[in-house]
Amino acid sequence: MIAWLTSTDHKKIGIMYIVATSFFFGIAGILAMLIRTQLATPDMTFLGPHAFDQVFTIHGTAMIFLFVAPFGLGLANFLIPLQIGAPDMAFPRLNATALWLFIFGGLTVLSGAFASGGAASSGWTAFAPLSEIRISAGAGQDLWIVGLTMTSISSILTALNIVVTVFLLRAPGMTMWRIPIFSWEMVATSLLILMAFPPLVTVFAMLLIDRHLGGQFFDPAHGGNPVLYQHLFWFFGHPEVYVMILPYFGVVTEIVAVFSRKPVFGYVELVLSAFAIAGLSMGVWAHHMFTTGAVTNLFFSAMSFLIAIPTGVKFFNWIGTMWKGSIEFSTPMLFVIGFMLNFLIGGITGVMVASPPIDFHAEDSYFLVAHFHYVLGGGSLFAIFAALYFWFPKIFGVKLSERIGKWTFGILFAGFNLTFFPMHFMGIEGMPRRVYTYPAIEHLPLLNALATIGAGLMAVGVLLFLLDVVVSVRKREPVGDDPWGGYTLEWATSSPPPEFNFTSLPPIHSERPVFDLHHPAVAAEVTP
Amino acid sequence: MPLFDPASVQAQTLRGDWEIFFGAAVVVAIIMFALILLPLLLWRRRGDALPPQFKKNRSFAYVYILTPFALVAVLFYFTFVKERSVDALVPSPYATVDVTAFRWSWQFVYPHARIRIVGTPQQPPVLVLPLGKITQVNLTSVDVNHAFWIPYFLFKRDAIAGMTNHFDLTPTRLGTFRGLCAEYCGLDHTLMTFQVKVISDADYRRWLATAGKSTP
Repeated sequence: MIAWLTSTDHKKIGIMYIVATSFFFGIAGILAMLIRTQLATPDMTFLGPHAFDQVFTIHGTAMIFLFVAPFGLGLANFLIPLQIGAPDMAFPRLNATALWLFIFGGLTVLSGAFASGGAASSGWTAFAPLSEIRISAGAGQDLWIVGLTMTSISSILTALNIVVTVFLLRAPGMTMWRIPIFSWEMVATSLLILMAFPPLVTVFAMLLIDRHLGGQFFDPAHGGNPVLYQHLFWFFGHPEVYVMILPYFGVVTEIVAVFSRKPVFGYVELVLSAFAIAGLSMGVWAHHMFTTGAVTNLFFSAMSFLIAIPTGVKFFNWIGTMWKGSIEFSTPMLFVIGFMLNFLIGGITGVMVASPPIDFHAEDSYFLVAHFHYVLGGGSLFAIFAALYFWFPKIFGVKLSERIGKWTFGILFAGFNLTFFPMHFMGIEGMPRRVYTYPAIEHLPLLNALATIGAGLMAVGVLLFLLDVVVSVRKREPVGDDPWGGYTLEWATSSPPPEFNFTSLPPIHSERPVFDLHHPAVAAEVTP
Repeated sequence: MPLFDPASVQAQTLRGDWEIFFGAAVVVAIIMFALILLPLLLWRRRGDALPPQFKKNRSFAYVYILTPFALVAVLFYFTFVKERSVDALVPSPYATVDVTAFRWSWQFVYPHARIRIVGTPQQPPVLVLPLGKITQVNLTSVDVNHAFWIPYFLFKRDAIAGMTNHFDLTPTRLGTFRGLCAEYCGLDHTLMTFQVKVISDADYRRWLATAGKSTP
């Protein structure tokens, strides 16, 4: 126990990230079930308005700040040193600091539930003036601000660590163009964090100054400006969307190649597209503000459309990787296919709402809720499950059951689409987000009932996954060091890997050294 | 269903954008789903032989970079045209309403007729608009951010303290439509609704005359 709490080993830290973020996912998932229960029918009185406001605020906050984004950082902690053939991260103690800042920051946010007035209830965006002290007086909002400042600083430290590690600690032979795609995507993610999170910490500081030191940054009666909050928040908030998706583009790329038994198609394009997406995402923040009447809509619309191009490149590279392959439908691959199908829908609706004339109707409606859940739930969450099934044997030395895994995938895929597809139509029919009830008009009762049934199915899927973990860990069937025929260096060491990772490294002549090791004849042919 | 029967001139323009994007979305989705599912059907693993280990295809790359570029360029053209048309304000509108959002209802002021209507969460106010005439709305808030949304007009705009937004509404159908706050604004956000009553021009003039007298 003490060994874990004081560890600076990147693998232990990575595992603790995965466990902590999974805990926060559990909380956020339970809150999601409360939301769907309240909205199951138009006349529900299961949650009052005040409880409902806290529930959706903490649901969004926990999913975004405490699960989807930091899970990627945790996975990176475990994998990056292994993938590039390093013994640990560049700054192990900084790494441990970041982990504990994250955990305590997350717990600080949740502790708001016990404050008088309850947890924060101004939404995950906490727009001023709504989050100002004269309106949201409770300590829950302060704990939210302080807790998320801690997790933000944690992310900045981890991002710094990842960039330095990948640039300076690669094994001999691991040139820049041989770095595994997941590690590359994490470099792009980390650069985004380094650019986007300092403004977030700034806006939190300004909000605290407003709340407790008589600042008037966002109060128009004293020369402040509510739109300023949105600019600063979305200057962070849109890059954050890519912080929540780029790591999973990496996961998908690695898994699709291994289970197509082919090299990654368009490796260089995939790397460049990650940086193109990262760069463009710094210039699109005001597409969250099309309806404010305070920004140049057409500029931000054009910039947002452009992101479709590098994202499309990724899809074609995944398709190219599968093309003429020898595709194996393992559980990780199924989740990756689910990711592609769901994320495609989220991407397409993303291009739609990037057009202001559409956004004027869709903004802040359930159409938007559907859109971003297709990206973060159908996309990132499915990739997270793919990553868990794929790397579980490496992390714990135990393979999860393929039989239960396939059921889990099927139920989650059906449940996800049943929950979120109807939401597009709720939005079009005029249901705004963040409401605790709705009138029984048009198709709203039917659509909401379907969504609630779907959410129930998703809960079954998640429980089935937990069952899989328990059953597989108790069975402890030995799986060997490389159960999937992996490509990258993490599969060249034991499962779980020893302290400092490697006793010896295979020669590195391409971006998939372990494949080359097992297929020397093919490697000689493919690699010039 | 607001998309099928939009109820204002501006909404008809906005629906044009929805039609173009929905059309493009369906075509792109079908092509991409097919391209994703095709390899899964054709090339399942059969045995241990490795498939061909190719890594790139330069000429194909031009296709999948330039095609999306062309597509978004076309979509941007339509966005540009529709947005310009909807954002345009006429210099002298037929009617003017000053809309003020507050926690948690709306105030509608008809400045020329000295009419002031204030709602409550329990008694949502009614916004009266003349059929086929341009009404200019001046929108602001006195506290937190709100958003003025009429689903059948396919349109919303934020109400933000310290600034005023202006837009034109030209209803094309008689009847009563739902209006609501779309920007989360706290406890009674859900109840912050209003009604839009579109009446004929003659009725509108009569209403202005009588309501103007009864309001202090």
